[in-house]
Amino acid sequence: MSFLSKIFGKKKSSASVAKDRLTIMLAHERVDCKLPYLDDLRNDLIEVIKKYTSVEDIKITTSNNQSVDMLEVEILLGKK
Amino acid sequence: MGTIITVTSGKGGVGKSTTTANLAVGIAKLGKKVVAIDFDIGLRNLDMILGLENRIVYDVVDVMEERCNLSQALINDKKAKSLYFLPASQTNDKDILDREKVRKLLLDLKKDFDFIFIDSPAGIESGFEHSIFLADRALIVSTPDVSSVRDADRVIGIIDAKSEKAKNGEEVEKHVIINRLKPEMVESGSMLSTQDVLDILALPLIGVIPDDEDIIGSTNTGDPIINKEKSLSAEAYRRVAKRILGEEVEFLDLKAKKGFFGAIKGMFK
Repeated sequence: MSFLSKIFGKKKSSASVAKDRLTIMLAHERVDCKLPYLDDLRNDLIEVIKKYTSVEDIKITTSNNQSVDMLEVEILLGKK
Repeated sequence: MGTIITVTSGKGGVGKSTTTANLAVGIAKLGKKVVAIDFDIGLRNLDMILGLENRIVYDVVDVMEERCNLSQALINDKKAKSLYFLPASQTNDKDILDREKVRKLLLDLKKDFDFIFIDSPAGIESGFEHSIFLADRALIVSTPDVSSVRDADRVIGIIDAKSEKAKNGEEVEKHVIINRLKPEMVESGSMLSTQDVLDILALPLIGVIPDDEDIIGSTNTGDPIINKEKSLSAEAYRRVAKRILGEEVEFLDLKAKKGFFGAIKGMFK
């Protein structure tokens, strides 16, 4: 921020607001978009598991911590 | 074998066709054999920007449907002798392109040309997929505004998913072109800066084209701005063309033109 705008207490520039909004928005959107094959993967997994046992549903969740991207697959085999 | 470069953006109206036209002319002028293809089926535009609209007889769909030879449909540019142009079809059926026919056409062109520029349609539907699936490189055009950057990000996210190169374990080389930058607005904090856009898109930059009213004039007359010697945006395009050929060229120093008051204001920063 320039010296003048500090004196007059100017608001945050609209460009930095734009950057913040985009950063937040894209952090959300990228999760779905990064793995466009997720649905296909899920269906394929169901097919494979069906060969061996009954399967009710498969939940795939993504998570990432600092350096590793992870897919967590939870397979619901149905009630006993 | 030539290189297929797809110019894309997600959002419409950010300057894909203008970018395609100028870079195709620029690279042809550097001595390469170039073909520019308009893949925006139904909404032909590149022809007018290149000033070749009166010479169209056949279009890209005619070639694919074998109603004519490839050489009959290719239009040679007046000024850049090693530049050829293949126009989009004006059909209303935007799903007319067939993946295997697109493949055959592009592989044929790869044998004859050094560079194949594809002007992709806006959006992420089938037209976009046809433009990208054989691409070796992608140039993502974005203007420094939220909607354009957001759509660019989305497109970047799906390029590899749609690309055959990526399926074979290779990566489509991706670069960002920032178009219509207004240095005055960036300096006053009312427009995203080049660095802002790059921070968000996380891709290497290949060019920044300053906003230039003369581009409207050159579209009016069908003479791409890059043909103009003394023009800042033309120089910006020329540098992108060289970078595409692998040369390392400095980025233009885009600074606001300062008046008297601007200069004084600058002293307080």
